Amino acid sequence: MGLTDLMSMAKPNLESREKILRKLRGRELINCFQCIKCTSGCTALKLLELKPHEIEKLVNFGFVDELAASDIIWTCVTCLKCVQRCPQKASPYHVIVALRNLAVEREAKVPEAFMKAVSQILETGLAEAYQKVTTRKMEACDRESLKLPKIPAPKEGFQAVFLKALEER
Amino acid sequence: MTRIGVYVCHCGLNIAGVVDVAKVADYAKGLPDVAVARHYAYMCSEPGQRMIQDDIKAHKLDRIVIATCSPRMHEETFRKAVAEAGLNPYLVEIVNLREQVSWPHAHEPEKATEKAKALVRMGVARAELLEPLEKRKVSVEKNVLVVGGGIAGIEASLDLADAGFKVYLVEKAPSIGGRMAQLDKTFPTLDCSACILTPKMVDVAKHPNVTLLTNSEVADVKGFVGNYEVTVAKKPRYVDETKCVGCELCVGVCPVKVPDKFNEKLTQTHAICIYSSHAVPKVAIIDPSHCLRLKTKKKEVCGKCLEACEAKAIDFEQKPQKIKLKVGGVVVAVGSEVFDASEMAEFGYGRFKNVISNIEFERISDASGPTGGKIVSPQSGQAPKAIAFIQCVGSRDKRFHEYCCRVGCMVALKQAILAREKLGDGVAIYVCYIDLRSFGKGYEEFYTRARDLDVNFVAGVPSEIHGASDGSLYFDVFDKGTNKLLEIRADLVVLANGLVPSADIARINELFHASRSADGFLLEAHPKLRPLESSTAGIFLAGACQAPKDIPDTVAQASGAAAKLVDLLSSGEIELEPLKAVVDEELCSGCRICESVCPFLAVEMKSEKADGEEKVTAEVIEEMCQGCGACASACPTGAIQMKHYTGKQVLVQVQAACAGAEAKGKGGS
Repeated sequence: MGLTDLMSMAKPNLESREKILRKLRGRELINCFQCIKCTSGCTALKLLELKPHEIEKLVNFGFVDELAASDIIWTCVTCLKCVQRCPQKASPYHVIVALRNLAVEREAKVPEAFMKAVSQILETGLAEAYQKVTTRKMEACDRESLKLPKIPAPKEGFQAVFLKALEER
Repeated sequence: MTRIGVYVCHCGLNIAGVVDVAKVADYAKGLPDVAVARHYAYMCSEPGQRMIQDDIKAHKLDRIVIATCSPRMHEETFRKAVAEAGLNPYLVEIVNLREQVSWPHAHEPEKATEKAKALVRMGVARAELLEPLEKRKVSVEKNVLVVGGGIAGIEASLDLADAGFKVYLVEKAPSIGGRMAQLDKTFPTLDCSACILTPKMVDVAKHPNVTLLTNSEVADVKGFVGNYEVTVAKKPRYVDETKCVGCELCVGVCPVKVPDKFNEKLTQTHAICIYSSHAVPKVAIIDPSHCLRLKTKKKEVCGKCLEACEAKAIDFEQKPQKIKLKVGGVVVAVGSEVFDASEMAEFGYGRFKNVISNIEFERISDASGPTGGKIVSPQSGQAPKAIAFIQCVGSRDKRFHEYCCRVGCMVALKQAILAREKLGDGVAIYVCYIDLRSFGKGYEEFYTRARDLDVNFVAGVPSEIHGASDGSLYFDVFDKGTNKLLEIRADLVVLANGLVPSADIARINELFHASRSADGFLLEAHPKLRPLESSTAGIFLAGACQAPKDIPDTVAQASGAAAKLVDLLSSGEIELEPLKAVVDEELCSGCRICESVCPFLAVEMKSEKADGEEKVTAEVIEEMCQGCGACASACPTGAIQMKHYTGKQVLVQVQAACAGAEAKGKGGS
């Protein structure tokens, strides 16, 4: 009974779908009518082949396990154009984040860059390490040479709070 | 002692699928004064109605309780049935077991059955106190008002005028014709819009039964169905309609240039102008916000038109007029507006000259438009080499309007076909759509015709439009059919702007108490069974003010609304419901609360001298009272009572509800 993906013989997993819906607090964010506006404007489409409309539809059908195990959900660059412009107020971005969370729960392989960002936050409290930049005159400068104030280190106990918050997700 | 008959309807499985109808009927048998209680599959059917009629005679019933669907559905049906059996129709009480029991409580059948019993108990208690009432007849005005002079208003006016009614057709703009007058061709037949509309505009203006009031708006409405008193505010034209011959000599000399509204501001006209080339009436009008003399209010300023006019029609002294009309009924046909796409930043409407709306395309394509019917890119003035149509702009979009505009798809098909016919094979045409809806008669064939003419359909819409420095536009769009991201470059982009409720609809809502639906359009009395009526008696709806509509549907609705009005007013009198408020003068303290809460201005205060003292009491003007009951619930002394819903009739229901709760409490303890 029901759907089968004849390309991979996969069946929808409605329990996994339910998990995603719980994370999204309802089905409004996957209430998509396939206008393709998100994919037409997707920053990650040309190089990384992310098609947000496809993700919306696959979650709707219940092909969630395949998505949670895939690499494609890690390609979103979170520009949020799809959230801004969706005529149905659906949100491929939020669906992708929910799928990423499900992937982490299932201990799927998370791309290195993401793990790097997490350890960066743990250490410095910042998602991105501050960098040296080069001016047009080829002078290297950093915060110190520009006389910008030092960025304070995270408060004591931040790591514990951060890790706890991650677990609660 | 009354003798009550109780009838529990199954409504197929609508009620019986949840509520144990046999149990409810059994329970009703045990209630005081109930002589008969039965249940049946469809009480509204012929055998169901006959069952009640037979029982009235055989069991000498004098009150009837019917536990069935909403009274809005079949109360009238059952009233007629008991009247045929010789009982006063107001001795019927409807208990709603469908909308209020079986549908909302479908998952709890036992509790639903208990609730059904309680409602029946309340209904029986109320039925005992019902009093016979008589409908009253009042005479009606045989004049009618049509608000809005677009194709809907014109069609309704012509039908009503032909049926012998005196019609007042009120139009806000200086000319009738409305939105249809702006269109080039019409789908799916490609009839020229002007060719089919203009003769009707002339017919309605010439009809002996029609009084045309252009440049006018409804200012005030009083009264009730059959007897409305309407005040129309006629704005000054500053041109004598009886003298002006429409020669346009004045327009040529006027030094002030003004954006041309009829041409969607694509061109300019003058402060004195004739609204359009086929305006009816073809009479000049001065825009007081631009005319130098009217703006400065100085007699020595300008006056060039005054000199040029050979007919001596210009009259700077014209004042606004108030015209009072007495009408029996109204057709509201105020139409809609076109969505303003500048609200939607991503498509660059208003920023890029070559991004235009579909209504602007109509003007550009129209022979009487700014380019004489030559399709051009606004920036270059040259014929475009590639045209892209983008669908569902502002409609099917929760950020703006959730509903489908119902015309955008067909308009785009029509405009694509027109572009191909006028510009030949050299132009590339793309239609970017979400769903292409061609639902009407001949519409799907029209879609086929567009494909035959090499119109490219892209299943997907772009996220944003970019402009190049040469005025050309480009955008990415992902096509569902080929699974490819395409780039489209075009020198004309046409947005399928949807139809939105106009500001006039809010005014109509205030003036006529005609309700609006959640989408902002006017609400029909019933979506299926009463689609032509508003929520106010005597006020009918036609055209796009009720919902977005194309021309065939608009004309059909207009003729339907006209026929409804003929039906309402032709006998010269109408029956009024007897559900009215009445005042007990003994109890009335003259506090005026009822007067302040009445939304229909149906309460007036009268003063009488008795024993040397002046006593002020409320009085209900029966014709104006709509029976809403606001006064009765606000009255602090209980002096105003609603017939059929008196304090006693309501309280006894409350008592019956509480009595059941008590019995249950005792049973439990």
